[in-house]
Amino acid sequence: MKGSLQTWRSRPEALALLLALGLLALNVVVRPSFGSAGSIPASLAAFAPFAIAAMASAPSVISGGGGIDISIGPLVNLVTIVVVVTLFGHGVTHPLAVIPIALALGLLVGVVNGLLVSVVRYQPVIATLCGYFILTGVGLQIAPSPSSATTSWMNHLADTFGPVPGAVFLIGPPLVLWWLLGRAGYVKRLRAVGGDDATAYANGVGVTAVRVTAYALGGLVAGFGGIASAALLQSGDAGLAGQYTLPAIAAVVIGGTSLLGGRGGLAGPLAGAACIFLVQTLLSSLYVSDSWLQVAYGSMLIGAVIFSGRVPQLRRSNA
Amino acid sequence: MTPPAHAVRLKARSLRKSFGASKALQGCSLDVRAGEIHAVCGENGSGKSTLVKILSGVQRPDVGEYVIGDHPDGTIERPRDALRAGVATVFQELLMVDTVSVLDNLQLGIQPVALGDSSPAEFRRRAQSVLEELLGYCPDLDGAAEGLSLSEKQTCSIARSLLRQPDVLILDEATSALDAESRDRLFVVLNRLRSRGVGIVFISHRMDEVDELADRITVLRSGASVATLERGKFTREDLIHHMTGADQLTAGTSERQNQLDPVSTHAVMRMRGVRIRENSYPVDFTLRQGEIVGVGGLDGHGQDEFLLALWGHQFGSAGGVVVLEDELERPITSASAAVASGIGYVPRERRSQALFPALTIRENFGVRTLERDTVGPFLMWSRTHLRFEHNAKKLNIKFGQDTDLITTLSGGNQQKVILARWLASHPRVLILNDPTRGIDINAKRDLYALLVELADSGVAIVMNSTEIDELVELADRVLVFREGAVARELQREELSRTTLVESFFGMGRSR
Repeated sequence: MKGSLQTWRSRPEALALLLALGLLALNVVVRPSFGSAGSIPASLAAFAPFAIAAMASAPSVISGGGGIDISIGPLVNLVTIVVVVTLFGHGVTHPLAVIPIALALGLLVGVVNGLLVSVVRYQPVIATLCGYFILTGVGLQIAPSPSSATTSWMNHLADTFGPVPGAVFLIGPPLVLWWLLGRAGYVKRLRAVGGDDATAYANGVGVTAVRVTAYALGGLVAGFGGIASAALLQSGDAGLAGQYTLPAIAAVVIGGTSLLGGRGGLAGPLAGAACIFLVQTLLSSLYVSDSWLQVAYGSMLIGAVIFSGRVPQLRRSNA
Repeated sequence: MTPPAHAVRLKARSLRKSFGASKALQGCSLDVRAGEIHAVCGENGSGKSTLVKILSGVQRPDVGEYVIGDHPDGTIERPRDALRAGVATVFQELLMVDTVSVLDNLQLGIQPVALGDSSPAEFRRRAQSVLEELLGYCPDLDGAAEGLSLSEKQTCSIARSLLRQPDVLILDEATSALDAESRDRLFVVLNRLRSRGVGIVFISHRMDEVDELADRITVLRSGASVATLERGKFTREDLIHHMTGADQLTAGTSERQNQLDPVSTHAVMRMRGVRIRENSYPVDFTLRQGEIVGVGGLDGHGQDEFLLALWGHQFGSAGGVVVLEDELERPITSASAAVASGIGYVPRERRSQALFPALTIRENFGVRTLERDTVGPFLMWSRTHLRFEHNAKKLNIKFGQDTDLITTLSGGNQQKVILARWLASHPRVLILNDPTRGIDINAKRDLYALLVELADSGVAIVMNSTEIDELVELADRVLVFREGAVARELQREELSRTTLVESFFGMGRSR
């Protein structure tokens, strides 16, 4: 028993991954066309903004100290609005202009969040709640009413580039970035800071820099999410600012990431997001009312909390 | 490159550091030479841990010079700076990050680039050999650190420092959790490092270890370095003398009159065979009516756990605590059972564990005994007010209105309110954890007089104190804790600063 618990603890995302695969199979059983080659790019494009928002929420949680970034959802939406309304609206459509601006906006907001949390020492929930309101308000200023625009490369992102689904180019970069940061040792420092910041500091880890970087990274990834959302919706709608906020945090938890920090990566939240997304598609294939969707999210969360939160506590009390 | 013998690796001059009003260091100097083991000794609060924090870069001195090797003064601002300058520290409390693997813990703070010429595989091999040498085996390097035992964690944190190949190694109570064999293995390693020219700062509560290892000893007292003793050129008496500064003080005088013969009075509480730590010797203790039992020792040797055990906290399954009432034994297995049996407990952390900072003086006083002031379902605050006035007069509490916030009072008066809270329920036993901590001398005097009066009226008092003079002055007997067990019991006639400090360090006659 202890051995299997140990395995679950060292690979907390495994459970979410198994669940996601099971849900995928169920989806295909219920609606065989779900798995057909033709529908995959569209499904992935619909999945991408939420998946990326979930990944963007992870680094701040891993950084510990009550770390959380609830401004990720509105940030994703603001980037979408800026891309669709501000940039496309003014004829700026070249990807080499649009993408860097979108990413820079995300990064900037993330850095501000990180400074508020690590340097000014706001509680993370409060700091990012401020961000939540401000970003939502700015979005409303830019786009008081929804407006649509798209370009051909955006359409490709929502569909395919040749044989490759466009969403791969949106979900992929955060994962590659995370892998590179792992190679550079950053991910280890992040987990060490999240696990025990005093010990990490005493051993020469720059705790402040690591935490600021975590929030900055979340913002940068949210920039990718904004592009994904622009490609999917082809419109900017300030009313959608809140839609990803709580589900993204839920995906992080379902992905096996401890809210106490110090554990996890981007794969878990991605798997967690897949669970939520696939439950959604499954229920809609079964013509179940939307209201049950929320019930399903909550139930999955309860299950996830039991596995990611309760199990370590039980272990600790046995120790 | 071998440095010249006696080259100074690390030099600290006249370090001063204050935290608010308390002066942790006031004039502390230390030289660590290449190839020496330099012990730092001192009693509680002498400034050892602050010194370690400054040497390791965790804190910066307010005043004073701190130079590592040829790095100029003032460049050590963070732990990272000290590590880069070649000073690695094994901290007493900060051991391992539980959430990451053992290997990641060993690499903590070392940039992959800064692993230098050693590749990850090379580092892993070195880590294995260092751990095998220290532990006798190598734990799973890829397993999570939370799976390790305390002694393995301490060994791993020593290994982490060794893997940095430091010029100066600081060990702050780094042997406290090690078994005898691991300690012997560590000492072999330390002797080898010494012969290679590493300077080692060694802090331990075990005098035998200091005797065995140290080339020189710097003694701290009240935040100042008072002497540096060379190996073989001093006696234990010299060392104790420097630590206590006994000649500067008038002989401790006891406030307690010999009015009760403790042997003849009857027991109110008994602890039998309680192991307050996993491998510590079990504690047996009988508390008698009207006595003040002091609890002493170096910080963190089980005093806090002992008091908690008396208050019903369960440590493991063995042994137990009972109160004796009318010849009957009633087990104390929880805090509520303790309260029901007339045991009061004043914790060490006043603000976080005893006070309700957001409530008034009257509410803080009455919170335990409000049921006495009710008429039917209604609380009559005026009754609480009267009861408080009565107690306040007795305890000489100085306050404006009892509806002022408790936080408007001085620390001493806050402590008196907390005592009044317990006294209002007429306890038979009072357990006090460092009750005079952070309060001024007049309030201390008041408290001493009050405790003596309570004891004379038959209340049994168990008091942990970090102030040696307080134990000498108040206690009928003192239980000295070392490593989770009672190492010695000193009767009133034996009590002095010198005997206490000797027993803290495990010197002198042992039980």
